[in-house]
Amino acid sequence: MNRPLKKIVIVGGGSAGWLTAGVIAAEHQTNTEDGIEITLIESADIATIGVGEGTWPSMRSTLQKMGISETEFLTECDASFKQGSKFSQWNKESDSNVKNADQYYHPFTLPIGNNKIDVVPFWQNLVNKVPFADAVCAQSHLSHRHLAPKQITTTEYTGITNYGYHLDAGKFGAFLKRHCTTKLGVKHIIDHVELVNSAKNGDIASVKTKIHGDIQGDLFIDCTGTTSLLLAKHFNVPFISKKHILFNDSAMAVHVPYPSDDSDIASFTQSTAQNAGWIWDIGLPSRRGVGYTYSSAHSTDELAEKTLRQYLTSSMGEAAKTVSIRKLSINPGHREKMWHKNCIAIGMSAGFIEPLEASALALIEFSAKMVSEQLPANRQTMDIIAKRFNDKLLCHWQQLIDFLKLHYVLSHRDDSAYWRDNRTQETIPETLQEQLDLWQYQTPSRYDIPYTEELFPAASFQYILYGMGFITQERQQLKRAEQTKALEALFSDNAERVNMLLSALPTNRVLINKIKEFGLSKI
Amino acid sequence: MANIVSLNNIEHQNLKVITERSATYGDDIWYTPTFPMEFKSVQTFYPIFFNKDPATGKFFPLALFGFQNHENLFLSDNKWHAAYIPATLARQPFLIGTQNINEDGIEKQQRMLHIDLDNSRVNAVQGESLFLEHGGNSPYLDKAADLLEAIHHGVQDGDVFIDYLLKYDLLESVTLDITLNDESKNQMLGFYTINENKLAELDSDSLTVLHKKGYLQAIYMVIASHVNVATLIHKKNASLGL
Repeated sequence: MNRPLKKIVIVGGGSAGWLTAGVIAAEHQTNTEDGIEITLIESADIATIGVGEGTWPSMRSTLQKMGISETEFLTECDASFKQGSKFSQWNKESDSNVKNADQYYHPFTLPIGNNKIDVVPFWQNLVNKVPFADAVCAQSHLSHRHLAPKQITTTEYTGITNYGYHLDAGKFGAFLKRHCTTKLGVKHIIDHVELVNSAKNGDIASVKTKIHGDIQGDLFIDCTGTTSLLLAKHFNVPFISKKHILFNDSAMAVHVPYPSDDSDIASFTQSTAQNAGWIWDIGLPSRRGVGYTYSSAHSTDELAEKTLRQYLTSSMGEAAKTVSIRKLSINPGHREKMWHKNCIAIGMSAGFIEPLEASALALIEFSAKMVSEQLPANRQTMDIIAKRFNDKLLCHWQQLIDFLKLHYVLSHRDDSAYWRDNRTQETIPETLQEQLDLWQYQTPSRYDIPYTEELFPAASFQYILYGMGFITQERQQLKRAEQTKALEALFSDNAERVNMLLSALPTNRVLINKIKEFGLSKI
Repeated sequence: MANIVSLNNIEHQNLKVITERSATYGDDIWYTPTFPMEFKSVQTFYPIFFNKDPATGKFFPLALFGFQNHENLFLSDNKWHAAYIPATLARQPFLIGTQNINEDGIEKQQRMLHIDLDNSRVNAVQGESLFLEHGGNSPYLDKAADLLEAIHHGVQDGDVFIDYLLKYDLLESVTLDITLNDESKNQMLGFYTINENKLAELDSDSLTVLHKKGYLQAIYMVIASHVNVATLIHKKNASLGL
């Protein structure tokens, strides 16, 4: 029990496996004699699914800690900069008479004055004049011109505005694999895991592979995707479905070429609501990634395909009719726990949910970081850490599900059963309903989130609520003169910053081309 | 706007260039690019720092004349108050352009002397003549041509110098805290300089490489040039009557 934890075995490659390997290997000096040994077993037979083309800003520090050059990452993973999400037609079905009438932003930058001063009541007086995100943050203004979050002189991983990435998930996995095996000392075995060998205490002692025989480890990380080979198949940890809350269980994805080499690259993930789900649209330097995620209970595959091709017609013309579409299934939900005995599930083996807020990679990063920073010294302390890890991850899942559901319950769309069903009481989690009741009278604040290191800060809830036109009753007595003055200053500072950024920032396309030619400096 | 043309003794026979130094002629700049080959002269008068080219993000060395845009503390009474003017500034209004020529059937690039006709120094009345009466180059023009040749090679060498500095991790960002005689404080951000700790840790093989290239001397001249920040502060105080 007191034997030091020395060897970690990761089963499964893909983004989850290699990100986890990289995060732990970098911190625990896997490339030295005394470091923690990490072996990643990847099956040659199973193709990785390659889901998750959007990241959060957290990916910057994740990559930086792994010792990756941002220039190499951007170039080799066909990556561009993401500054948030833009939602269209979520509140009302499309009205062809009014262009862009129904759209709002969830940018990565916090609202002005965040945590110090509540800007919402002041903004509400301006409601008809300025959309929430435009009034409280500079970032949404950059969207129209497809501007980058930084300049060629800005150092690697630093932003003038906050940013994450849009990337090619397939290339990302291969890139991480190369970095982990050549720089970080992660051992890579290509083999098929056939059997799990148990220890006396019920732990996993080793996994039996087809060619390399038994591979022992002190800790096993299950990154086998939806198969969940270790946690679900071996340990039978139950799955908790969330389909009754978030209906989307199917997706169709397609790669869309640009009309020309210098086409604009969008700064935001575009999410456009449809009558049985929503379509994502992600701009990479070499192509767009577009997909429709929908509820199979509310749309047939044929109808969904028609919807997707219809959407593509505006940018592809006739080619939209013939472009090849890949169909995927989603089982929304997560395991009852992610860490059981000496086995941790990270990635889709732990759970999966529609990519509405691009949470997949963020959850992997968070999990890998916590495992790495809290890596048990020995088996004795493992159960304590496992319990904390599970508590934390379950908090994240609950908040994630509430937050995604929030996007739906605020909608006034009435064009299909999908939208009406999304608003029925029995599909809304109690935890979310409680918040909604509260938010009628007070602004989302940090008091709403009773734990630290939350997935979504109160600001995210504000962006969705007020982007969707939610009204919080104003309390008259809170209007103090000096506060009004401070708020006016904040809003005018923001307007000034917008002008500065609009003149200083290059477009994504220009910056990406410059990075390919000159690279970003590390200092 | 610049109007840059290749210089010739027919069209430009009667052009003259005003060599006076003043804000009128665009000398009110707070820094100009420099290169290791002129560091010896530059470091006598000016602090040398590094900055990034806004178009490429690439580093280049510069000679500093002031603490803010349009402040040139060496410029007053239509004179430049230092015995050496860095080449990239002294060259005005000339520059080098390349032209493809065919020499014995081989395509070659030739460097050609160009002039910016819109530069306010250029006129037909006063200043130094470019050409002699019968079309030959004036001594002034020959000097300008030599200067541009020196800049061309100097900047190329400067790029290699930067590559070595980055290779050995010898650059770091620097914040200049300026306190004037009236105790007012100013911060200057965005410049870079030699990381002296990294330099001290450099192994003898790396030092030998830098020495053989002549860059070790250049590095120490950059460091030595920083005493001139005090000169700038002194001039700034004087200009404010402090």
